Amino acid sequence: MTALAQATLYGLLQGGLLALVAVGFSLVWGVMNIINVAQGAFVILGAYVAWELNSALGLDPFLGMFGAAAVLFVLGYVVQRGLINLIVNAPIYLTLLLTFGLDLMLVQGMNIAFTADFRSIPTSYAGNSIALGDVRVPLGRLLAFAVAVAVTLLLVAMVNRTRTGLSIMATGMDRGAARLMGIRARHVYALTFGLSAALAGMAGAMVGTVGTFNPAAAGGYTLLSFVVAVLGGLGNMYGALVGGLVIGLVEAWAGQYLSGTWVNAFAFLALIVVLVLRPSGLVGRAFYATRVEV
Amino acid sequence: MGASSAEISAPARAETATARPRARARWRRLLPWAAGVLVLLACLGLQTQLYTGQERTVTTIFMFVALAQAWNIIGGFAGYASFGQVVFFGIGGYSTAVVMYHLQLNFWLALVLSGLLAAAFGALIGLPLLRLKGHYFAIATLGVAEGMREVVNNVPGLTGGGAGISIPTVGPRASTPYLGNDGFYILFLLLAALAVLVGGLVSRSKFGLALRAINQDEDAAGSMGVNTTRVKVAAFTLSGFLVGLVGASYAFQQVTIFPERLFDVDITVLMVMMVVIGGSGTVLGPLLGAVGLQYVSEYLRQHYTDLHTFILGAIIIAAVVLVPQGVVTYAREATRTRDFSLLGNVRRYRL
Repeated sequence: MTALAQATLYGLLQGGLLALVAVGFSLVWGVMNIINVAQGAFVILGAYVAWELNSALGLDPFLGMFGAAAVLFVLGYVVQRGLINLIVNAPIYLTLLLTFGLDLMLVQGMNIAFTADFRSIPTSYAGNSIALGDVRVPLGRLLAFAVAVAVTLLLVAMVNRTRTGLSIMATGMDRGAARLMGIRARHVYALTFGLSAALAGMAGAMVGTVGTFNPAAAGGYTLLSFVVAVLGGLGNMYGALVGGLVIGLVEAWAGQYLSGTWVNAFAFLALIVVLVLRPSGLVGRAFYATRVEV
Repeated sequence: MGASSAEISAPARAETATARPRARARWRRLLPWAAGVLVLLACLGLQTQLYTGQERTVTTIFMFVALAQAWNIIGGFAGYASFGQVVFFGIGGYSTAVVMYHLQLNFWLALVLSGLLAAAFGALIGLPLLRLKGHYFAIATLGVAEGMREVVNNVPGLTGGGAGISIPTVGPRASTPYLGNDGFYILFLLLAALAVLVGGLVSRSKFGLALRAINQDEDAAGSMGVNTTRVKVAAFTLSGFLVGLVGASYAFQQVTIFPERLFDVDITVLMVMMVVIGGSGTVLGPLLGAVGLQYVSEYLRQHYTDLHTFILGAIIIAAVVLVPQGVVTYAREATRTRDFSLLGNVRRYRL
């Protein structure tokens, strides 16, 4: 029983982190119809930025994550403005290939700059844990979870309440109409991509605090983003939260009760079944299905 | 054609006037086939001039020509961007390894069996998955490939799991003697030729027209009487068959195979890249794309070991941004319109 409770708690905490990785991915997919294969590389890059800030300036990773977010935002903005905007109207696999090329460059660039060794951002408190009855709550993971959920909710509020957020939504729904209303689509697209990258960078800082990372781990985070975003429904940001928690739980439970890596097979089976039977995701409606492409 | 011109009692002068362009048109139609046969013979001749390392490199190029052509059938002609095509590669490779290891089956029998098994799997997953469009199809196929790798990983009794499986090539358990560098050169050359031939036949057939119609507007194609489901599944199955054959041959060439390599998503991405950079929906495009990209990749690997993937990534980005429609399509359009400006080309898909 304790084992189950411990696995559940661990899964939920991990799920929050996955949600933060995937929410930006989902936003980019929903608004611009772009699959960003470099999302995992953004996560790892964020981890390295936080690591550098920690080792050079002694900055706590929970402060360093803002630095990571800033660096990644700039990178994301420039990439979208300078590259992806050039082929936004091309057939879908072109944007996919472009981000794949970016992924290759980032991962290999990090391999050269930081070597392939596993690293972790050291803190004095992340390894501590709080005892809740028989269940132990690791402090670092708890903090990371709180930050992840708070940032995800902030993003939702920002997109739904602020002018910038509304212009992102409007551009996602009908780009032609949005441009006629005076929205600068090129800027809004770049902003969206920058935001998504910034969130990935923040998630990376926390990934580096609660566990280890190296450049090769990027692919795994990209794949998880796919699964979480699809489960939650594209462009649906609460959906990403739900999808993240579901995947976190499933992984933790399966790790507890299934042998080997069957859990991954089931995760992908779930992905395919959801895609075929309910493409709009587990929660929410087919919001973007009615999108007008101009 | 001769009979119809005889029925019309046209003056002899006019007939000779139309006969010349007709003969030229026939020559133009035959030209690609003639060129294909010449290239095939040239590749056979080339073999005698290569030393072992080069021979292996060229063999890999042939393999990717076959894979790119196969992807082009579903991704280029039909426009369904499958990002899990490597699943057929893995299924082909593993079914060959499994039947040769457990049943000591002859390789040639295993090859055909693997192709058919991959094709059957294509039909099976094609039915539900080809209902999806765009990114959804891409992600679902990617999920199939990743999931299949995990399945293979988790049945070690049959597949050897993560530790890999070795095809017996020597001793009493070896059913077919190892083909060696020369043998695999010929085998992959034949597979590449088969794939190009299939691509050419599809391109000129009614089936190919139906696929192109689906690519342009699936609803319109359906209303014109194209059975879109059947045509799409057939294209997916055919592509899976070819990839399965290549996977089976690759497994035999490598002797020991691992799930991580046989279901490597990079193989899919390479197929897509070769087709897209060469020119999707053409026969020449995937051929040139595969040869060019594999050559560049090999060159970089040998001369810039550390920066190899970094430069490759930069090349992909540059190619996608500069010639998004593919080199062959760009060249054809540019010679027709006499507009060779790359800058104008970049504006095509710009926001």
